[in-house]
Amino acid sequence: MKAKRYLVAGAATALALGLTACGGSTGSTGSGSSASGAASDDSNCADAAVFCIGLVTDTGKVDDKSFNQASHEGAKAAAAADGGFYKYVETQDAKDYAANMAQFTNKKYDVVVTVGFLMTDATAEAAAGSPDTKFIGVDQFFDPATVTAKNLTGIQYPEDQAGYGAGYLAGLMTKTNKIGQVLGLEIPPVQKFAKGYEAGAKAANPAVQVTTVYHPAGDNAFNDPTWGAAEAKKQLDQGADFIFGAGGNTGNGALQEVAKATGAGDTVFCIGVDTDQWDTVPAAQKCLITSATKELSKSVTDTIAVANKGDFEGLTTMGSAGLAPFHDFDSKIPADVKTKVEKVVSDLKSGALETGVTL
Amino acid sequence: MAAWIQRNKFSVILGVVVLVLAYIYYFSDKTTALSMYRYAWTYAVPLVLCALVGVIGERSGVVNIGIEGQLLVSAFAGFFGAAYSGSLIVGILSGVGCGLILGGFLAWTTVKWRMDQIIAGVVLNIVATGITSFYYKPGQLLPALMPHWSIPGLSSIPLIGEVFFKGTGVIALIAIIAVFGIHFGLFKTTWGLRTRAIGEYPSAADTAGINVITMRLVNVTLAGALAGLAGVFLSMDSTSSFERGMSAGRGFLALAIMIFGAWRPLRAAAAALFFGFVTAAASQLQADQVINVPPQLVGTLPYVLTLVVLAVAAGRVRAPGAVGQPFVKEGK
Amino acid sequence: MSVTPEPPPTTAPTKAPNPPEEPSGAGLFSLILRRQSIVVILVALLGSALIGAALIRYQGVSPWYAYQTIFKEALLVDGGLTRTLLKTAPLILTGLAVVIPLRVGLFNIGGQGQFVISAAVAGVTAYAARGAGFGALIIGLLVGVLVGAMWASIAALLKTWRGVHEVITTIMLNNIAAGIIWWMVTTGPGAFKNTSQIPMTGPIDKAAWMPTIAGIPLGFVIAAALAILCGWMLSRTTMGFRFDTVGKNKFAAGYAGIPINRVILLSMVLAGGLAGLAGAMEVHGVMHHFEPAIGGTLGFDGITIALLARSNPIWTIPAAFLVGILRTGAAGLQFATGIAPEIVDLILAITLLLVSIPVLGRWIFRSRADKVQAAATSWGN
Repeated sequence: MKAKRYLVAGAATALALGLTACGGSTGSTGSGSSASGAASDDSNCADAAVFCIGLVTDTGKVDDKSFNQASHEGAKAAAAADGGFYKYVETQDAKDYAANMAQFTNKKYDVVVTVGFLMTDATAEAAAGSPDTKFIGVDQFFDPATVTAKNLTGIQYPEDQAGYGAGYLAGLMTKTNKIGQVLGLEIPPVQKFAKGYEAGAKAANPAVQVTTVYHPAGDNAFNDPTWGAAEAKKQLDQGADFIFGAGGNTGNGALQEVAKATGAGDTVFCIGVDTDQWDTVPAAQKCLITSATKELSKSVTDTIAVANKGDFEGLTTMGSAGLAPFHDFDSKIPADVKTKVEKVVSDLKSGALETGVTL
Repeated sequence: MAAWIQRNKFSVILGVVVLVLAYIYYFSDKTTALSMYRYAWTYAVPLVLCALVGVIGERSGVVNIGIEGQLLVSAFAGFFGAAYSGSLIVGILSGVGCGLILGGFLAWTTVKWRMDQIIAGVVLNIVATGITSFYYKPGQLLPALMPHWSIPGLSSIPLIGEVFFKGTGVIALIAIIAVFGIHFGLFKTTWGLRTRAIGEYPSAADTAGINVITMRLVNVTLAGALAGLAGVFLSMDSTSSFERGMSAGRGFLALAIMIFGAWRPLRAAAAALFFGFVTAAASQLQADQVINVPPQLVGTLPYVLTLVVLAVAAGRVRAPGAVGQPFVKEGK
Repeated sequence: MSVTPEPPPTTAPTKAPNPPEEPSGAGLFSLILRRQSIVVILVALLGSALIGAALIRYQGVSPWYAYQTIFKEALLVDGGLTRTLLKTAPLILTGLAVVIPLRVGLFNIGGQGQFVISAAVAGVTAYAARGAGFGALIIGLLVGVLVGAMWASIAALLKTWRGVHEVITTIMLNNIAAGIIWWMVTTGPGAFKNTSQIPMTGPIDKAAWMPTIAGIPLGFVIAAALAILCGWMLSRTTMGFRFDTVGKNKFAAGYAGIPINRVILLSMVLAGGLAGLAGAMEVHGVMHHFEPAIGGTLGFDGITIALLARSNPIWTIPAAFLVGILRTGAAGLQFATGIAPEIVDLILAITLLLVSIPVLGRWIFRSRADKVQAAATSWGN
């Protein structure tokens, strides 16, 4: 009996050791991807001819269907376009930002993209410490009064403009004069979307009523699709026919709920956020009339290209924000609505129109 | 019937008062009231199911603080099972199956191996978080939406029918049946009597010829199926995607509800509906901009109320006597 | 669970039948068999390392290379050891916050809440005291200890006064703390309007930062010293004796005239104070402000550490160090191999499972199964 036990243990150990041993000597299946003909690893990043791009997420993941994913895709595209090498690290603990950026600077990466405003301070610090690496902070604002480094830029997006455009569309199209929004945590980027949405809707249709609800918890505010869905349903039940879901997975839950409702895509619609959620939340396609987007991927790709060529223009790079394509709804939206919305969006971009949103 | 009313005077009066108030609100502002009640019920469904898991476990003498983990893994298994197989049924079955397996794990380790019940639960939660976030794959879709029906006849009852039976999914219906079924089972059947016996006084139950070990194993394992259904509800019914950590503390909230409901299925369900309504009211206040209560503080309300109830009504709200203790048969 | 007025009748039959064995009773850990415990721990660690290796292999990476990377990143890389020690310090303390009540028979799973609420209040206070230079550090740490102790004492008081089980209260308090801290940094007091828009409290003065001396963070020194102090307290003082007596047999302790309620309260206050100190130390030593992300999973890691340390305070140091190594190395692992850092969570979860599963000990020491039982908290006593 006893001997049998040890036999089993021995066999298990041997099996596990075997597994361990047959792995070869290097773990070469890195997260790195590279364009053909470009550098295949990051051992030569110090070489001027080799262009290396690194990306550090805030505590999210690169598959978060939102800004981490969009930035990740943008950086990947930049690597492909410029023949560079790209690799990312996902941060688990907010205290590791500096260490994770150091992974890249130690290897003399040329560009490090840091994603999310939570990393603002850490990025500024890292940039000051590594003058040879260029830092791009997505969604970050560096105060010229305190940050003097030249090797970094923060990409800023006028979220309020995107929200305004979406709200304007909803205001023009609503039949019930009731529209709603289901939001994540009450923090500035979300508030800007939300207030822009409200302002846009009111501008298009002074009679419109906007229901605004933020998630009631802290920890899960961006990751509670069940709550988002229930909240969206409540607003639909109360007669809202446009729901703006802005708040990571919480907002996505709201979009999916609207897609399930009766009349989805005919009488009730949903509006996504950050990226074109037609692609990232396919379950919402039935109602997703558009998304209030920040052009994250494009701006990351463009800014990396700028960094590859030379210096940044300044501490702040303006990314653009606007509306995603209407996809299947292109034919369902009346032509006059489309022209009006397009005019508003372009006026906002040119500065001819102000959203009037202040935090 | 009269005797029953006499015994549960307080609950009956409270129930009637609440129902009357609910109808008054319903007839004064039908749309808003109905939307809030429906919200409360959607909010309550997974909580009710999870609270039942806790009730069955604790009534049998096994504390289950691993409900959160069961919920998460079942949501994961349900969604990905359905997405990869292309069949909702397979998804539901794999979700429920995972609930059963984890319930079985908890039962086996705590009852058979006498592992500490709290530790077993904590382990379950940590393992669940680790597995589901490591093996999560984005970009999957459910093959179809979960069907929703209106029950003919029942759904036309004002308020109650409209909330519980109109456009309702199968899991919400099971939750209703489970609440009544388990309440009846616990207090009116031999199974219930035995379950309560092994939770209150296992050595006496053993003397009376009840197989405590087997009964605890079976009860805790089968209760896992309810947690599995709750998980499936999260990822397949109330939303149509799985996200990391999407259980969002509901397993723990269910424990609060179980205690708030004094370890009784019907009261637990009432407590879940109450918290659901409070949450709905809070978001309604926020939306109407009546008063701006910080939403984060409103979110803590169920927990604060549970602590208050425990502090105030500690004498009346009592846990099963032998909860948390492994049972060792004498002379073995 | 909430109230058990009667002594539980089921504890009596837990007598082991074999004469050479001690009755294990409802006591906590069988301290007599400490050596056997170490064997169990080592087997568990080896087992989880092997399962982890299989998982890593399954991801297409050499496990040997992966483990090498983790340890290299955490220990050998320039500054790696300092970072590991920085991570170890709060882990020791949150581990102790579980260990000490465990010795009295209480399961404090509220370390997370005690940690974050203390960190938040300490952060606000230290920011308010930003003119005070080094004094702000002292104030911040003291406030952290006090708030943590107070937060934990809610659970302790409900336990002694109302008999409410501490697991339930600490779960509730964790959730309440999470709500409060988010409110504090978003719309409540302590919200610091800054250009970066991070929900956080104001930055504390550089003078109030916790220093790192010669690569060794002061916080680590304090935490290790406290672990040793707790070890000494539990094994060499009357108070420690009382703790263990209450934990092993509450009724005997009552007959011996030990004020049980005071011991319970004291153990939770100590635990809360330690977790609170960890929170304040993270504010002063790592973040230099408070933001909700400061908590991470520190409180829950404390449970793993306490079980790895077999509820021995001194052993929390190596246990926390091990967890610190894994957590520090995780990011480097992803950089080098592309494996998601969650692999570390998975390995820790498996470790916890193997450490706590009594059957492992029973399997190794077949005949003395009950003695190496992983843990038996006096639930319901």
